[in-house]
Amino acid sequence: MKTLVLGLGNELLADDAVGILAARSLRRTRPTGVDVVETSVSGLALLDFFLGYERAIVIDAIQSGKHPPGTILEFGPSELRHVVAPSPHYTGLPELVTVADQLALDFPRQIRIFAVEVADSSTLGGELSAPVRAALPELIRRVSAQIRARQPPACPSRFATLP
Amino acid sequence: MSRKIVIDPITRLEGHGKIDIFLNDAGNVERAYFQVPELRGFEKFAEGRPAEDMPQITSRICGVCPTAHHMAATKAVDDLYQVAPPPAAKKIRELVYSTFYVEDHALHFFFLGGPDFVVGPTAPKAERNILGVLGKVGLEIGKEVIGLRKELRDLISLAGGKVIHPVFGLPGGVSRALTEEDRQQFVAGAAHAVRFARFSLGIFNDVVLKNPKYVEWILSDTYTHKTYYMGLVDRNNRVNFYDGDLRVVGPDGREFVKFPARDYLQHVAEHVEPWSYIKFCYLKDVGWNGFNEGADSGVYGVAPLARLNAADGMATPEAQAAYEQFYQTLGGRPVHHTLANHWARLIELLHAAERMQELANDPEVASPEVRTIPRETPREGIGVVEAPRGTLFHHYQTDERGVITKANLIVATQNNAARIAMSVDKAARGLIHNGQVDDGILNLIEMAFRAYDPCHGCATHALPGQMPLLVSIYDPEHRLLRTVRRD
Repeated sequence: MKTLVLGLGNELLADDAVGILAARSLRRTRPTGVDVVETSVSGLALLDFFLGYERAIVIDAIQSGKHPPGTILEFGPSELRHVVAPSPHYTGLPELVTVADQLALDFPRQIRIFAVEVADSSTLGGELSAPVRAALPELIRRVSAQIRARQPPACPSRFATLP
Repeated sequence: MSRKIVIDPITRLEGHGKIDIFLNDAGNVERAYFQVPELRGFEKFAEGRPAEDMPQITSRICGVCPTAHHMAATKAVDDLYQVAPPPAAKKIRELVYSTFYVEDHALHFFFLGGPDFVVGPTAPKAERNILGVLGKVGLEIGKEVIGLRKELRDLISLAGGKVIHPVFGLPGGVSRALTEEDRQQFVAGAAHAVRFARFSLGIFNDVVLKNPKYVEWILSDTYTHKTYYMGLVDRNNRVNFYDGDLRVVGPDGREFVKFPARDYLQHVAEHVEPWSYIKFCYLKDVGWNGFNEGADSGVYGVAPLARLNAADGMATPEAQAAYEQFYQTLGGRPVHHTLANHWARLIELLHAAERMQELANDPEVASPEVRTIPRETPREGIGVVEAPRGTLFHHYQTDERGVITKANLIVATQNNAARIAMSVDKAARGLIHNGQVDDGILNLIEMAFRAYDPCHGCATHALPGQMPLLVSIYDPEHRLLRTVRRD
């Protein structure tokens, strides 16, 4: 299944870099059949990134104030509307899905969003805060597991058909 | 009566714009304030970094127009190292920049302006979105917009690496020459862009200009300010997005001053207000005289309408014809009607597409000579471009190693800030009477700033069409009557 891993955020802005850093780290593992992309754009302009993929995993920062910084949240696009104070990076995501649907675009049918509750996402040139930094390995682990979860097994039939 | 107005800080991540409307005893508007969250501290952040990193770093501060920051920064480092790019490099830069303009203006018209005009300013809220636009113009058009944008973004990547953070401009040129094959791809993309721009102007003609109600909105006093206008012009005083001199015309349309980017500090100053983070630019030669229009007030506008007003015409033939129709229809130059920005943007879309075509068809863009190596000691560099949302200045001072000691950026929305604030205030006054405020009226007020397509703080990421907004309405005792939040 052709999969996109999309890291959103701005690496110049402290905790807002978390999605970008996770994506960068995942790219180094060179997962097969997966494109790992970093970007700072949002909403409808993101459409270009999603086209042509069957599955997408989005990684981003979130500032809801409802969870301790470093908390990893996980949801699907339809649940976005219920998330209070979402990051503007995906204010347009539900709309994006609707547009893609109406236009019958080649858009991922499966979308999973991983969002990390952040402490500081506005200090230019700032570092990741301690709790967000601490959450990064777990975030990467969970996204990796998600990547593997729906991956078809590696060519088992090849062996089965050997004479 | 003295009054204290407390504006809540707006967090950057939330990225909300904010309008505060104060009513008087009669239920009419005493004053309306519009605030945008602004990215602060970038200048400090830049200090101590090599100036040649600025094209990459500054393109990261804005998810909406990274290519504009990249280009302004690249021109500033040209100036810093006193190096002129070879002709091919200059043309490649302008080709990429024109491609970016087509993509950006197309997105704005269909996704952001479209809900106001194609669907209609007083249409139900549920229809004033891209889906409403598609419902009106047809799903095929939606596919066309998305397909064209993808094609153009692929072209930008071809020439400049990543679209979002182009690794492209270098002091004295560009990082990579175009092959003949690349050039042919640009030729094809440009032909597509020109067709699309003609088609978009056709839609504007059919849907907006043939609807007397829409024309009435455009011409209404509520959306009109007689101010100065600024924009880049070429040596024939025609619109240019990438290069030239800055020309300012007065409210009467006559040239007030024309100056090279290098002299911007002699002409542009910034005014601070207690209720806003943003610094309001004004013309130094006129002076700050409050949020007022007229020749005695230094308030000026930038962005599409201002660029057309500040020039004597467009540099390409079809856009020139559209420019003439624009001024004939709206009563001559300058046009002071803010909502005419939407039409002006489409004329610019055609101009950018035609310019793209001219440059793509120039065999010189495939020349391998794309770099002049800098040899001078750096000191100070100033670069300017017309970002889609208006004039953008980058100014760096460095030590002799090229490490930044001081940086100053003036972004489009700052140039436009005073006029935008005036537009929101005037629209609120003109539309709210006897305390009657409903959703349709609030949208008509929002239209006053949406026409400018303001970037509410570079790096907020919030996308055109999705500007989250908080509108608060207060009674004469400054008690909050109502809050409307749009996400």
